[in-house]
Amino acid sequence: MIKLKFYGLGGQGVVTASKILSTAVSLYEGRYAITVPSYGYERRGAPVNTSIVVDDEPVLVNCFVYEPDIVVVFDASIIEKNVNISEGIHKDSILVLNTEKASVLDKYSKFGFKEIFYADGTEIAHEITGVAVPNGSMMGVLAKTGVVGIDSAEKAVEEVFGKKVGELNAKAARKAYEATKKM
Amino acid sequence: MYKMLDGNTAAVEAMKLARVDVIAAYPITPQSTISEKLSEIVASGEMKAKYIRVESEHTAMSACIGASLTGSRAGTATSSNGLALMNEMIVAAAGIRAPIVMPVVNRAIATPWSLWCEHMDTMSQRDLGWMQFFTQNCQDVLDYTIAAYKIAENKDIMTPAMVCLDGFFLSHSMQKINVPAQEDVDKFLPQYELTNSYLNPQDPMFVSNVVGMNDYTEVKYQQKVAMDNAFDVIENVFGEFYAKFGRKLNIIEEYKTEDADVVLVCMGSMTGTVKYVVDKMRAKGKKVGMVKLVVFRPFPYKYIYEALKDKKVIGVFDRNSCLGGQYPPVCTEVIAALKGTDADIRDYVGGLGGRDVNPSNIEKIFNELLDIHSGKSYKHTNWIDLKENPMDSREVFKYV
Repeated sequence: MIKLKFYGLGGQGVVTASKILSTAVSLYEGRYAITVPSYGYERRGAPVNTSIVVDDEPVLVNCFVYEPDIVVVFDASIIEKNVNISEGIHKDSILVLNTEKASVLDKYSKFGFKEIFYADGTEIAHEITGVAVPNGSMMGVLAKTGVVGIDSAEKAVEEVFGKKVGELNAKAARKAYEATKKM
Repeated sequence: MYKMLDGNTAAVEAMKLARVDVIAAYPITPQSTISEKLSEIVASGEMKAKYIRVESEHTAMSACIGASLTGSRAGTATSSNGLALMNEMIVAAAGIRAPIVMPVVNRAIATPWSLWCEHMDTMSQRDLGWMQFFTQNCQDVLDYTIAAYKIAENKDIMTPAMVCLDGFFLSHSMQKINVPAQEDVDKFLPQYELTNSYLNPQDPMFVSNVVGMNDYTEVKYQQKVAMDNAFDVIENVFGEFYAKFGRKLNIIEEYKTEDADVVLVCMGSMTGTVKYVVDKMRAKGKKVGMVKLVVFRPFPYKYIYEALKDKKVIGVFDRNSCLGGQYPPVCTEVIAALKGTDADIRDYVGGLGGRDVNPSNIEKIFNELLDIHSGKSYKHTNWIDLKENPMDSREVFKYV
């Protein structure tokens, strides 16, 4: 069982990203997943998070993730908004981060994650799709951790976004996958 | 065929597969995507039905009753304050014997305003003549909704049904679901046919008229008999469902109860989490088990008795505060079902207003029950997830 937590800002498609991941593992890898979005009084720009549990067996547990194995941060500024993205992490927890900036990586390296997988998902999304929404591209970065295959991530991006927008976002995911660095 | 659906879309898919003829619905969080999606697929022609836009839930239910009396299969869905506003027509639908099936996305009723899950909305309607089914996951939502139509429309039952799904934890949780083929559902659930009372200008009759004291008791007794008959019908329908679709539906589901020292009875999405905790604690040698209550109305007291008659310590988890009651509703029913046994039954309240029912609180409950079972302790924590100093919460400061 792999427990994930996605953090981002309202409007970045964090909940959609969780749907992409669960679609990828459920429909294209014969595994199971559930998403438990934490809806609040969201508005565009406010911090949001969502929990996802992935397993080879049907997932029984139906509640928020408290001890994430993988944390995905869609907007690095979130730690300035009173959100503790390292809550509940353990010695093997992995961070997936949307940035290429050394100063940001430096800040995030202090949280004590075992590894950080990173790329500028927003820039890649903007370049390929014309829209600076990183939820498709960050699936590529996430795929680099091994939680989901890049091929199934691409297919799921197309499935969730629909053919036209999906193809572009799948391209962004592939590009981000190839651009991902590790520290 | 496998599809990725959240609980609300699973309910929509079920209503589509059931070939509901008339939909009258009013959106309310967290049900909104049900009424939106239904209106979309009716507009696009994907679903052949009449969609009536209404100005309130009260009218939604009124329209469904009227449609049902003309021989249409009628459907709506609601949540929370929407269900509360429907209250008058909830009683009417049951009394008129309109076999409407309604997904209810469980949410707390204001005040204080909360958009999030608890069972207070459906619990407040529990004695008004509707059947109630509570679901664990999105597959349950689809399966029990399809089955509910067949049960509700059975000529010995003719009673409406709510299919209850937890707000957000199911309504907005994306899961992989096995969706049956339309032709298989058509064979399982034939077209609805009117039997007794109906609206037909060629053959007029009074419906929902005043019944004097000479007959009222008997009319209510007929509703009681329908509820009593329901268990046999439900078992038959679930049996047919299993034969057709290969998935087992249950009135109650016993999970590792056979040799369990203590058992927790609960309903809704938390039952998945409780199964997970049972597995975890079993791996450490702790003999714990769970009973998932699917059918809450009619209350399956004989099934509960059979499952729990030899258990010494039982916990019951209510996602509902039941203010002023000696015990909350699920616990009250379990106590009544086990009257005459020497079971020590403990009531737990939690998960109110969307508070997460998490594994650590479930484990705490099981450990308390195990301590009671071994004689180590007598106390249990009634409101299991209450914060410290609850009386200080939301204190109003004036003149500061």
